[in-house]
Amino acid sequence: MRTPLSHNVLRYLAIVLAGLVMATPLLFMVSGSLKSAAEINAFPPPLLPETPIWQNFADAWNYLTPRVILNTFIFSLGIVGLQLLLSLPAAFALAKIPFKWAAAVVAALVIPLFIPGNLTLIPLFVVTYQLGWLNTYAGLIIPMAAQCAFAILMFREFFAGLPVGLIEAARIDGASWGRVLTAIGIPLARPALATFCSISFLTAWNMYIWPQVIAPNPANRVINVALAPLAGGENSMISPSVGLAGAVIAMLPVLIVFIVFQKWYLKGIVGTGLE
Amino acid sequence: MPTSTLDTPSPRQDEEKRPPDRSHGYRRGRRIDTLTAAAFLTPGMLAFALFVILPAVGGLVLTFFQWDLFSTPRWVGLENIIRLFSDAEMWQALGVTALFVGMGVLPTILIGFVLAVLVNTKLPGIAAIRVFYFAPMIASAAVSSLIWVNLYSTNGLVNQALSWIGVNGPNWLSDLTWARPALVIMMIWGGLPLVIILYLAGLQRVPDDVYAAASLDGASKWRQVWSMTWPNVWGTTVLIAVLQAVSFVSGSFEVALIMTDGGPLGSTQSIALYSYKVAFSQRDIGYASALSLFQLVLMIAIVVLVRGIVRFRKERS
Repeated sequence: MRTPLSHNVLRYLAIVLAGLVMATPLLFMVSGSLKSAAEINAFPPPLLPETPIWQNFADAWNYLTPRVILNTFIFSLGIVGLQLLLSLPAAFALAKIPFKWAAAVVAALVIPLFIPGNLTLIPLFVVTYQLGWLNTYAGLIIPMAAQCAFAILMFREFFAGLPVGLIEAARIDGASWGRVLTAIGIPLARPALATFCSISFLTAWNMYIWPQVIAPNPANRVINVALAPLAGGENSMISPSVGLAGAVIAMLPVLIVFIVFQKWYLKGIVGTGLE
Repeated sequence: MPTSTLDTPSPRQDEEKRPPDRSHGYRRGRRIDTLTAAAFLTPGMLAFALFVILPAVGGLVLTFFQWDLFSTPRWVGLENIIRLFSDAEMWQALGVTALFVGMGVLPTILIGFVLAVLVNTKLPGIAAIRVFYFAPMIASAAVSSLIWVNLYSTNGLVNQALSWIGVNGPNWLSDLTWARPALVIMMIWGGLPLVIILYLAGLQRVPDDVYAAASLDGASKWRQVWSMTWPNVWGTTVLIAVLQAVSFVSGSFEVALIMTDGGPLGSTQSIALYSYKVAFSQRDIGYASALSLFQLVLMIAIVVLVRGIVRFRKERS
């Protein structure tokens, strides 16, 4: 099937134009983060700042504080790491170790996939509160890491696809199940690991409600909790352009992870949707 | 295939072959297998029981109590459930939720489909351009709120664009009429990437010869899309409809909380946001749980409704 050249050019134009419309809010964020206080409030708003005000980023950094950035990394990486620890052995056992209750466990894991997270927000808060974990890293991380049914099922799917002979051979050679998992299962699972880690990291980094209710105090605050009040319009001490600079800072890590892991991330997203 | 996605997924029941008789005896091998499996599963299952099962059951139980988190919970039976139906604020929130779903789902599906068809090409450089289409997905609720608050301000970009066509834009987020559509537009923007991604995956399964046959007939490009492509991705559309409906009912309350706090005058307060506020501002855990339960019922109703429509269409064709 051949298409004339003019057709392709038109299509290109349409694709770029629609892409620009989709990206306008984000491009506005970048441009706005470099505008002066006068420019951001001017009407009509200039598309680009006359001279980029890098000071906005310094101000945003000071408003956020390094502590908040560090907290966000501890929170996100803590969730990713703990989910791996909880889900990899469980998934491997369900996929490759023969035992009686495997099918029942899988069935139990499938059910919560259909309950949207914020329906259980209140009781999950109550459980965490009863454990005395308000304003602690444990309270931030552990209850979220425990939402790992999806991770277990995804890794199980992957491990189930590994050739039985490979694992049998290692077992007959006398390798323990733990050794089979760490020496064969996990190294072979790299694509699944890339998919899982990128999705889990992005989800955790972008969380707002959970850290907001569990750890609103400055010592454990994460970046989205720190930024949200600036969008309420109440904080007139901070210029909107400084707020946008904060938004750029908040988006930078996820943007990098997204671009690097795009292939695996998108594969995972499609998989989730189709499940 | 996405056509079956609304059915309970049947996890692959791959028949695991039992390990062959090992030198140290079959029985002992089985015992080691069971013990190892138990050890591997215990941490994950403990976490699952404590933070997934317990809250799910707890949420149900809390509905029957009056509790402020601090004093002893008091059994009130069905009082919280009955209160739902006589609570004017609940009815308003239900109306807002319905409007969010009604205004949001269809445009997201249609725009997402058109954009997916548009970028479903192998033209050079397309992978880089697609990042622009996917990027809204990775902006958190707080980040997108910060952006859109500025876009919607009285002298923001949206009103400037409107002034080009001679329209005097409102103060979107404090306007009783316009705050709701403003939030819906923003949620559509945030929801589009996922829709485009799912449609792209669906489109790649449409066989090429379908198009070849159509272009031989000389069907115009867009007629071809609606008459051939659209029916071919119907399964994906059903899946997306459910995901989007659920997301507009429940997922998007964060932006309303951040940007308008449900205002002005409760015009952007959905059931999800109302439930959040009852729990965390009024500390009425029992009633907030009843509201969450009501939300679950709403979602189940939507899924049943969509399944009904799907079945109806199947029977007709």
